[in-house]
Amino acid sequence: CSDSFLNITPKGESLESNYYSNPSEAYAGLVAAYSALNTETGNTYCSPLGVANSASDDCYAGGGGPSDMSQWQAMNDMTQLTPANMPVDMWNVNFVGVKQCNLILSKINGVPGLSDADKTRYTAEAKFLRAHYYFNLVIWFGNVPLFTTPQTTDEIYAAKQATASEVYAQIEKDLTDAIPDLPVTVPSSENGRATQGAAEALLGKVYLYEKKWADAANILKDVNGDTPGGTSRFGYHLLANYGDIFNPNNKFNAESIFEIQKTGSQNYGWGNWGQYKSNVYSIMVGPRGYSQSGSNSTAPNFLSGWSFDPITPDLVNAMVQNGKYDPRYKYTIINLDSLVQAGQCSYAKSQCYAATGYFMAKYAPLLQYTSSAGTKELNFDQDYIEIRLADTYLMEAEALVMSNTNLSRAQALLDAVRARVGLPSVPVSMTAIKFERRMELATEGERYFDLVRWGDAPSVLDNMANGFSKHFVAGKNEILPIPLSELTNTQMVQNPQY
Amino acid sequence: QSVSGVVVDAQNQPLPGVAVLVKGTSLGTITNVDGKFTLRDISDARTKTLVFSFIGYQKQEKEIGQATYMHVVLQESTKQMDEVVVVGYGVQKKSLITGAISSVSAKEIDNKQLTRLDDALQGLTSGVTVAQSSGAPGSAPTIRIRGITSINNSDPLYVVDGVVMNGGLEYLNPNDIASIEVLKDAASCAIYGTRASNGVVLVTTKKGKIGEPMRVNYNMQMGIQDAIKKVQLTNATQYAELRNESVMNDGSAPVFANPTSYGAGTDWQNELFSSAPYQSHSLSVSGGGDKSTYYVSLGYIAQKGIVAPSIAYDNRFSLTTNTSYKIGKYVTIGENLSYTYEKNQTGLNTNSEFGGPLSSALNLDPLTPVYVSASTVANDPNNTYASPYILQAPNGMYYGISNIVGQEMTNPLAYEQVQKGNYGWSDNMVGNAYINVNPIKGLNLRSQMNVKKAFWGNESFTPLYYLNPNNNNTNMVSQYRESDQNLTWNWDNTVSYTDQIGLHNFSIMMGMSAEKQTEDGLNVTYQGEPVTNYQDASFNFSLPTTQRIANAYDRQEYALSSYFGRLTYNYDEKYLFSGIVRRDGSSKFGTNNHYGTFPSAQIGWVITREKFFPQNTFLDNLKLRASYGVVGNDMSLNDFQYESIISGGGGSNYVFGTDGLAIGYSTTTPANPNLKWEQTSSLDAGFDAVLLKSLTVTFDYYNKKTTGMLATVQIPGFSGYTSDPWANIDDLTNKGFELEIGYNKSFGKVRLGVQGNIAYNKNTITYLGQGKQYLDGGATFQNSQYPLSRTAVGHPFNAFYGFKELGVFHSQAEIDNYKDKNGNLIQPNAKPGDFKWEDVNGDGVINSNDRTWLGDPYPHYTYGLTVNLGWRNWDFMVFGQGVWGNKIFQAYRRLDITTANYPIAALNAWTTTNSNSNYPRLSDLDPNHNFGNPSNFYLQNGAYFRIKTIQLGYTLPKPWMTAIGFQSVRVFASVSNLFTITQYTGYDPEVGGSSYGIDRGIYPQARTYMFGLNVGI
Repeated sequence: CSDSFLNITPKGESLESNYYSNPSEAYAGLVAAYSALNTETGNTYCSPLGVANSASDDCYAGGGGPSDMSQWQAMNDMTQLTPANMPVDMWNVNFVGVKQCNLILSKINGVPGLSDADKTRYTAEAKFLRAHYYFNLVIWFGNVPLFTTPQTTDEIYAAKQATASEVYAQIEKDLTDAIPDLPVTVPSSENGRATQGAAEALLGKVYLYEKKWADAANILKDVNGDTPGGTSRFGYHLLANYGDIFNPNNKFNAESIFEIQKTGSQNYGWGNWGQYKSNVYSIMVGPRGYSQSGSNSTAPNFLSGWSFDPITPDLVNAMVQNGKYDPRYKYTIINLDSLVQAGQCSYAKSQCYAATGYFMAKYAPLLQYTSSAGTKELNFDQDYIEIRLADTYLMEAEALVMSNTNLSRAQALLDAVRARVGLPSVPVSMTAIKFERRMELATEGERYFDLVRWGDAPSVLDNMANGFSKHFVAGKNEILPIPLSELTNTQMVQNPQY
Repeated sequence: QSVSGVVVDAQNQPLPGVAVLVKGTSLGTITNVDGKFTLRDISDARTKTLVFSFIGYQKQEKEIGQATYMHVVLQESTKQMDEVVVVGYGVQKKSLITGAISSVSAKEIDNKQLTRLDDALQGLTSGVTVAQSSGAPGSAPTIRIRGITSINNSDPLYVVDGVVMNGGLEYLNPNDIASIEVLKDAASCAIYGTRASNGVVLVTTKKGKIGEPMRVNYNMQMGIQDAIKKVQLTNATQYAELRNESVMNDGSAPVFANPTSYGAGTDWQNELFSSAPYQSHSLSVSGGGDKSTYYVSLGYIAQKGIVAPSIAYDNRFSLTTNTSYKIGKYVTIGENLSYTYEKNQTGLNTNSEFGGPLSSALNLDPLTPVYVSASTVANDPNNTYASPYILQAPNGMYYGISNIVGQEMTNPLAYEQVQKGNYGWSDNMVGNAYINVNPIKGLNLRSQMNVKKAFWGNESFTPLYYLNPNNNNTNMVSQYRESDQNLTWNWDNTVSYTDQIGLHNFSIMMGMSAEKQTEDGLNVTYQGEPVTNYQDASFNFSLPTTQRIANAYDRQEYALSSYFGRLTYNYDEKYLFSGIVRRDGSSKFGTNNHYGTFPSAQIGWVITREKFFPQNTFLDNLKLRASYGVVGNDMSLNDFQYESIISGGGGSNYVFGTDGLAIGYSTTTPANPNLKWEQTSSLDAGFDAVLLKSLTVTFDYYNKKTTGMLATVQIPGFSGYTSDPWANIDDLTNKGFELEIGYNKSFGKVRLGVQGNIAYNKNTITYLGQGKQYLDGGATFQNSQYPLSRTAVGHPFNAFYGFKELGVFHSQAEIDNYKDKNGNLIQPNAKPGDFKWEDVNGDGVINSNDRTWLGDPYPHYTYGLTVNLGWRNWDFMVFGQGVWGNKIFQAYRRLDITTANYPIAALNAWTTTNSNSNYPRLSDLDPNHNFGNPSNFYLQNGAYFRIKTIQLGYTLPKPWMTAIGFQSVRVFASVSNLFTITQYTGYDPEVGGSSYGIDRGIYPQARTYMFGLNVGI
């Protein structure tokens, strides 16, 4: 018998070797490359916001007890951070993304019938996504293996870590390659797909993290537009009302540059673990045992949550100075205890670990943002806005101040951010920019990385209000340990001091 | 010219059924019950020699000369050395066999209560472990040849007349079996290459013979089956007392004020078990002319189960036919065709602690009545009966529903009602056609096409019912139909040549084979038909499409292409050699291993044929033999496991546009192009001996190593893959020995035959991956936080693993004296009556690290014994079989139902007034995990010896038969499973199936009293 007798073609099931045979299969491969962006559950709950917020001075880890979500507790108290107890999904999920990108990139040129335009665009999108995943990996872990092609099992076991600068070089290359081939804007039916503006904004952020001030300022200027406060060539402008940015009814607004979309329409239940494309972080930050007091209550209508990432007194103190509230306070912090005192609601504070009485507002589990079908907890639909215009304004301002060039533009950028919420101008400086970033971007997952790259993490995180310390060790905790499971039978080397 | 005569044995007893043939012709006859024969019109025959042959006796040729009457004495071939043994793609003389092959002949299985071919192997062959997975009619037993060869799949390969079976063995009527050969060593199995590592069972069916006059045989068995024993459980009064004791031990008030008021209560087992009939009929017609042979047989087996007989039955009808025809001088063509229809019901969920009638009978409280009156249902304050959906019994009353024991436990009689009308069915067609060409002497060309076509499915109806809050259907009735089909074909072509040059005898066979399997199926559910019972249900009702749900599947094709060859050589039948090579290509293998090659070699030395060997000693024949071979197991592989499969949806999706879900497709596991069959190599050494002309001894020692068993490897997360790929990793060994002894001798008018066998096997896991000492998981123990078994390096597969109790603390003083080396209390929180757990690692605390090895679920020794006695027209047979060296884990009492009924042993539970007891104190909270920990408390010795069959037969004297015109008539009475010697307290110490050695409520085997009839015309 010949080999053809033995080469059975599978029915109703595709193999990697014979998939990617038409344009729709190529598109499905591209979708998979995006999918790792909004993975909310893996080894455990793995919202990147939860990990970064728990590590920052904006939140404690919270939850139901000192061992609830131990990986987040370890970010909250870094003495607990070990190769065995660390947010392993920050590693896994991003590598899933890298693998999916490499897979579609390796197949895209051989897809019959795929138009050149689509081929070019898909390639650019996959490169943008790969850059995004690697940027996450390099800022979390520093020393990661660098793959730009699909790997065989043997290659995986032989792989060694690249240096951070090698990874940054690849990120820059991917983004530089992608930018010209990405669309300037996308129709609303394609909202969520990569755009030129998103890629430029990400590249600007990457340059900033690399302290390439001039490059950062240069490209971010293209994103932000010539006139701070005006509309850029991509159509970006600051929304008039700060609160509108986070409203799920206002997705992909003019301030949103790179937005990770969540859906509430998939009727997820607990059996869908690992598949959620909804916002699972919402239910995690909601108060436990919550109920409104009567139908006339002025308290928000939350679904009872699990009280993770309570707002620290540090953030409250920063937003309320001398009795004066930052205009963004009410969109950032819910003072639940005051609502309880006012008789508007109740919640089980005793069951909330590390409770402060302050809860997160931006991603709070408002009942109106979950679907009627499926398990409510698992079907919130609020997006993560990964990069928005106020952020790129402040990043450009930072690059200009750090390089001491065009300070007037830096001042204009800072002023525009403040003016939008009705605050007067303050003289531009790194101190002013740092403060403004904290106010503007609180609980959006930026604070921790800002502190680390500014070198402020030890001084800030180890000297929090009421004597609290996150036990951040300089020279060690800037990056996470490599997960324990990755060291078995591989060439991975553990990060220093872990 | 005509000649007549009589054939007798050495004791001058007439031998009926001896074939008498004129040499070189197809003329012949067989001897009648008096051993007499008559041949007429043999004048034309060129030779005047008669050949007398009879199984178990040496063939004899006798010149007729001028004789008209002959007295022939046949010598028993105690050695049975002239018998041939089927070895796969051919036969070999038994005296020249150098591998480890056990045979079972038709004689050994005739007239036993056998419903399946695999049941026939129990106790008759050494090294084959047979354990029933259920006593339910038609259930398949678990067969292991020389132990567990793979942690993935250890089922042997079955080949019936050249047709490779993939399940569905129930199609074969046991009365059609001529012989079964079990290939045990890798060297013999190598002829089946990549599917043979678990051993090969070759079945040959009965055929007609050239020159054999027509024989008609009718065999009948009718009997009644009964339960052998009940599990001893507490009655209502005892139960209520123990419940009180348990909650009072937890500091609560007693629940039952007056236990004695409940009397004996309901004995659920009595309600569930009942006598069940068994019958089997088989009619065959066979014979042959000078060019053709034929065999036709009809079989019918009908059996009900002793548990819930209304929903446990198996009915089978089979038709088998085979013919052969010789065309001209060189060519023979032939065919085999079997058709079997089976209808059965097996939905009893046996050996599961999660529901089903047996599990319910073991766990339900004895307080709940079987039936309740309509008024009880009407005055139902707690809404226990949830009328109107409660079921009405045939007696007009309603079935009792327990409000004490819930979850999956339901009134077993009510459960029977719900299951009524459900059944499974199958149509099996198995056949082959062949052409044989013998152009010159010794050369044989054969082409055989084998086909197995199976259709099967099932029908069920779910009425509206309410068994308890967890098991009810108050929504819509539904009707379900499933239909599946499978086609397997293989085409074998072989060429063989046998010759003799001087004292050099050799035979060479080469062949090729191709096989393909396809399977598909579909099912449909109709919901909400306007009917209330299964008799009225029909798919003809017009229902909205939303109430008609259909599913279908296609199984991936499986293809195998093979080349094989065998060379056998012997010098003067003294020095023996046999070598086999098979090369298999399988669609399941990885691209780097599309083909696998499986070699083997066997050598033998018949030392008694050496000149130097002293003659006329007690040792008549001694053959030493050794073999080594390598075989594979592709049955553990699934389709396309070597490839990276693209899967879509779920986690691969993303959200674009206005809340629009985009479906993504990607890989989740890396390809493993190196994936291949599991490989088993085995060394076998043994001898065959004949002593004192009547004692045969066969001994084998083997050492079998399985390497590269399939297991998942943990793939690092940076690979980007989310599930672990399969690879060939784990290793294990099986070592053991086998001994078979046969003794046949006549003492005057008494004929004695004894066949015994015993085998020992030791299974050890030797490797589970780099640095990996044990596999995660293990057999679950209900909701216990620990599994009850573990597969670990240095231990047998799935050995029992848990805590070791050292008896209970009889007093506080004993607790206070149980200290570690630092003088600290090991169990400070224990109370008198709690188990004293062994602190295995000596760290002063009892935790998961104190679990240890508690025993092996698989027997180390298996044995069987058959004794045949004959005296004049009487025959008597006893067949027994047993195992030892294994443990049984008794897991059927539910841990999470604290109100479940208690075993009778719980009456002896520790109390302050019964403080010497070693049965732990009863407690619902169970703070010391006396009951919640898997421990040796639940383990019992699994050894047993069972009298499987005892049979007394009587062959009618000749004058009676002549009067009715029959050749032979034999009547017999027999009992199956007459008694079992065992210490095990559960139903049945034979616990096979997927939870081997774990009794979760096994369906016990029945004792059958049977009457039988064998008629030959």
